[in-house]
Amino acid sequence: MPKITRITRLGRQTQMGLLLLLMGGAITLAQAYLPDFLHRLPSWSDLWAAGLDRFFSWVQNDLGLIYVTRAIAGWLGFLIDAAANILYGKSRWPRIDALPWSAVTALVALMGWYLGGWRLALLGGFSLFWTAMVGQWKWTMETMSVIVVAAPLGFLLGLGLGIASWKWARFEAALRPILAILQTLPFFSYLLPAVIFFKVGPTAASVATIIYAMPPMILMTALGLKQVPQEVVEAGKMSGCTRWQMLVRVYLPSARTELLVGLNQVIMLSLAMVVLTSFIGMPGLGAKLLVMMNSFKLGHSFEIGITIVLLAATLDRLSKAWVVKQPKHFAKGTPWWQRHQAWLICLGVFVFFMLMAQIFPFLNQISRGDSFSVGKELDVLIKAFLGLGFVQVITGSIRWFFNIWVLVPTEQGILYLPTFAVIFIVSGLSWLLGGWRSGVIGFVFFTGVAVLGWWDRAMLTLHATLTATLLAMLLGMPLAIWAARRKRRSEVMILICDIAQTFPSFIYLLPAIMLFGITPITVILAILIFTMVPIVRYTVEGLRGVSPEITEAADMSGATRRQKLWYTQLPLAMPTIAVGLNQALMFAFFMVIIAAFIGTRDLGQEMQRTLAGTHLGKNFTLGFSVVLIALTFDIAINAWAEKRRKILGL
Amino acid sequence: MPQTPIISCRNLWKLFGANPEAYLTKMPPGHSYEQILADKYIAGVKDVSLDVHKGEILVIMGLSGSGKSTLLRCMTRLHSITGGAILIEGQDITNLEERGLIELRRSKMGMVFQSFGLLPHRTVLQNVAFPLEMRGQSKHDCRARGLEMIKLVGLEGREDYFPRELSGGQQQRVGIARSLAIEPDIWFLDEPFSALDPLIRREMQDEFLRLQAMLHKTIIFVTHDFNEALRLADRIAIMKEGAIEQCDTPDQIVLKPATEYVSKFTEEVEKSRVIHAETLIDPKLKATRNPVAAHATIHAIAQRIVEDDTAAIAVAREGKIIGAMPRQAAFDILMGRGDAQNN
Amino acid sequence: MKSINKLTKILTMAGALAFAPGLAVAEDSSDPIIIPIHNWSSQIVMSNVVGQMYESMGLNVEYVTTDSQAVYESVRLGDVTLELEVWEGAFGASYRAALAKGGMVDAGEHNAITREDWWYPLWTKEACPGLPSWEALNECADLFRTAETGDKGRYLDGPVDWLKHGQERAEALDMNFTVINAGSAAALWAEIGAAEANKRPVVVFNWTPNFAEAVWEGEFVEFPTWEDGCDKDPAKGPNPNALYDCGNPATGYLRKVAHHEMTTKWPSAYCVLSNISFTNPQIAEMAKMVDVDELEPEEAASKWLKGNKGVTQPWIDACTT
Repeated sequence: MPKITRITRLGRQTQMGLLLLLMGGAITLAQAYLPDFLHRLPSWSDLWAAGLDRFFSWVQNDLGLIYVTRAIAGWLGFLIDAAANILYGKSRWPRIDALPWSAVTALVALMGWYLGGWRLALLGGFSLFWTAMVGQWKWTMETMSVIVVAAPLGFLLGLGLGIASWKWARFEAALRPILAILQTLPFFSYLLPAVIFFKVGPTAASVATIIYAMPPMILMTALGLKQVPQEVVEAGKMSGCTRWQMLVRVYLPSARTELLVGLNQVIMLSLAMVVLTSFIGMPGLGAKLLVMMNSFKLGHSFEIGITIVLLAATLDRLSKAWVVKQPKHFAKGTPWWQRHQAWLICLGVFVFFMLMAQIFPFLNQISRGDSFSVGKELDVLIKAFLGLGFVQVITGSIRWFFNIWVLVPTEQGILYLPTFAVIFIVSGLSWLLGGWRSGVIGFVFFTGVAVLGWWDRAMLTLHATLTATLLAMLLGMPLAIWAARRKRRSEVMILICDIAQTFPSFIYLLPAIMLFGITPITVILAILIFTMVPIVRYTVEGLRGVSPEITEAADMSGATRRQKLWYTQLPLAMPTIAVGLNQALMFAFFMVIIAAFIGTRDLGQEMQRTLAGTHLGKNFTLGFSVVLIALTFDIAINAWAEKRRKILGL
Repeated sequence: MPQTPIISCRNLWKLFGANPEAYLTKMPPGHSYEQILADKYIAGVKDVSLDVHKGEILVIMGLSGSGKSTLLRCMTRLHSITGGAILIEGQDITNLEERGLIELRRSKMGMVFQSFGLLPHRTVLQNVAFPLEMRGQSKHDCRARGLEMIKLVGLEGREDYFPRELSGGQQQRVGIARSLAIEPDIWFLDEPFSALDPLIRREMQDEFLRLQAMLHKTIIFVTHDFNEALRLADRIAIMKEGAIEQCDTPDQIVLKPATEYVSKFTEEVEKSRVIHAETLIDPKLKATRNPVAAHATIHAIAQRIVEDDTAAIAVAREGKIIGAMPRQAAFDILMGRGDAQNN
Repeated sequence: MKSINKLTKILTMAGALAFAPGLAVAEDSSDPIIIPIHNWSSQIVMSNVVGQMYESMGLNVEYVTTDSQAVYESVRLGDVTLELEVWEGAFGASYRAALAKGGMVDAGEHNAITREDWWYPLWTKEACPGLPSWEALNECADLFRTAETGDKGRYLDGPVDWLKHGQERAEALDMNFTVINAGSAAALWAEIGAAEANKRPVVVFNWTPNFAEAVWEGEFVEFPTWEDGCDKDPAKGPNPNALYDCGNPATGYLRKVAHHEMTTKWPSAYCVLSNISFTNPQIAEMAKMVDVDELEPEEAASKWLKGNKGVTQPWIDACTT
């Protein structure tokens, strides 16, 4: 019985989706005969902007929110200053002054050794050693002074909100759309409010970082708490725990793994924001990177990029090792110094280097003049490579082919479509994918985009994201399928993904421009690099995750490699791949706005313009356009993946 | 029995569904499990009345989904109760508020779980002392009492291990030690040995009987294993679809299964190993010569039954003759022909 | 007698202190003066130079990295105390908007002229000898064709948020050029850098003073001279029906602004700020120390200060005596 109803409902879903697509097509064909408002709605963008401006000024001044946020900023500032004093000697409380690089490096290496053996020790030690040697120690510590405050705060806030959303279903229901919006709101929309409400500088930067890095922590907390085994909960209750005891002694420790995974996410996302937040006062590496790029120092920018990747890798691996590390017992009668051996060694080495640094100044600080930076040499190398004849021929033909034959025509195509045709098509596709709910949401959200009044620019943004994601799939999926065949290859591929994800996307931009000029293909390529990461990662993981029993069954049925892939592995991995695709789209929407730094004509460019005049209202009108587009895809794809997963019983 | 029962369930109901309380009040009496299901409610516990007496081992037996764990969780108030009442030593706990419930669990109840329910981040000692810690006892007390309990379950030397460093049987020993740490009057065990290998299970059952011989707790023991129930129980309550099919001593259940459902379990049982001599006593018979012990199983006195040629065999408890049993009936049981009693 | 002596001693001491030349500084708040730093070298070094001047006066200084457009809102709110490089062309709009909203005061201009306009590296001139005249450029439009711009030449304008109106100018002067906006200064340099490899002719947006002068030699295109109101009155400039039909002012201002409370909270610091006036060569020198000599901005600043005591000390002295 249920099977039959499902089939008929599926049928209805397909019919409805196709009907909507047909309507979209019909409107396109008939557009010459249709009234103007069906082609493009009149633009109300100024109206919205003015309204929002009034609203923000009301919140800021009349409601006095700014006093609250400024008080918070004061506290944040105090914490960051204290960290800054210890890390790089900013003259603030507690006036301990910068720790020597050698001591910090040794400490991190020891931590690596304690958590994950000599490999981690090597990674941690090398990363910081490199940082000091290329003369980026102080910049790195400036960056870290904000991260060491923002990441723990993001963790704690995420934890609190996660607990709340686990405890109260209503809170979760209210929080979910806010998180969805936060995750899709373009970065340029965080910028102005953060500056106005939290004071330009490290405070605003830390707030933006926290807001950006917190959502996964909330989700992981809620997930972890939900997964605590029922019996453990009951054991707690039967032991007579009060509610507080239940939470602190039973739930949170039992969800340790998820909480630490959340912490790992917070750290990684905080580092991902290092460059972007420097627009609003994040000191250190990101700010220096922008300076280097603006004075066309590719080599130095590249070195900073490597430092950021190394830092991210170190923090990532350290925190992951901590997730895995489980407490071990000591044999009876172990003396205390043996029990606390790790701590004692750390303390000893730390003190040793503190003292040595007083005697040998190079162990204390290495100035840029004494460093081993090879930025200039790298510059020459990069420029020479770009000047090579065959490089120019190849890039020239790629540029010519894609711009003239692919991107410009499709761009004009999407602009040719009447507004309502696009709305119907998007809603029809969402309907096909995710069912009636997604279809209606697609209709409402895209109508929203039309009403917000930046339709043409929104279409260009949509075009760039879709094209880049499509290309990323065409390139990334075969690569991932190839990699997933062998365990070793998969691991290497995932490692490459990790690196590509943390390498600041800004650094891609310059070589991309030098290769392809300021043209649409450059934008697409910049997005593509970033977007391929989740596609490759999730495809590899999805394929590797197919249970061996099933592939064995396929083998025993005499399937060829290709049959096995098509009929067993891909269908089973599809829900996971869909999640990757969805993330790729979200990354694309993030990156397409950043690509405004190359030069685009879409929403991102207009958002960049709003920064000049601090037009908060207009900025948010544009930001919400991106949110609405991104969420439409997010909802439809997730609905599809969820449904598939249910059907497959995963 | 003269004294008040330790646990008393009176017309206990537990329904799962949208609005169970309202449904129960307007539900016509005598609604069957299926009828309730048709109304989109599941009867976890269906009109159960049951007394558990001091020092008794009551085993609740049933297949999965029969409501046995639900009944246990109603008694501990891990589940709220839809209808009826539960009295613990005469105190009505049906609607006991949180504070009182915590107090009750801290002073009177201990519970062992199927998958052990150990806290993964705490050592053996910390797990065992957990209930004491919750009560706010001093560190020293917690440690002393914890070590004592660990010794009791035979885990000395492993105080500082973490649960994942122990085998399943050892983990359950920790669970047992924890449940006994506060010296509870009532001991709940929810399928405590189901997750263990058969050999270990047997060993743990012996351990359990050893402990009970020392401690004399009032015990509610849930299992889906009929043999385990027979082995451990003073009384067995067999459940099906939320209701109790039969609640009696193992001998009586094996000898006189009340329903067809119960007899499905008893069919496969080697009855001679379950039924005790005293169960077969027939007041109409008389014998004095050479009595057998009242608590001996028929299997244990098999030789006597086969070799004896009288019609009645004397049964004695502590040297005093309390009656006689028919030899033929015992012989039939021994030969697996005990079905006659069914009809 | 003794005690009276002591009293007069204290009084004279106090008096001496009150009128001591350095003491006017003591009126300034000990709160740090917050100086914003952007992402181009001359501004960073100049900020450090001024910061070190303040420190030599015994004031506390702190630097904060900010976006160069959003900074005006921060000056208004007092989150940063001052801004040392307000370029007429690039930041004029933000500056005027913030000034109108209130909270910001003008602290005068540098003795420097800024120029921002269409620019080409010298190798371009070899292909199009008629340069720098704009008419000649228009005739060479073919040289600047790319696959994407079809039969039109390509001009790479500055980022949209700099509000350069290159598009309007190309239309107003009926030029055979398509205007593409770069997304950032870095994008401009990347374009020039890529063209340098095979000496391809390019025309891009550029400005002076700027480190690029030291890296690539080049010239500005000469457009019809700027007339006041060219951006508001169609009648101005050669095309009677269009705005923006002139070149940018070849002598744009470079000014300083401050948060309005600086005048009362740090009066002498503000006084010094209004005295400060760097010249084009000085600014170029500062930028060069970082961009070419690879000094850290702080080092560059102290080195520059050491070599230019004669320039900066009078600005300080004028406010403290």
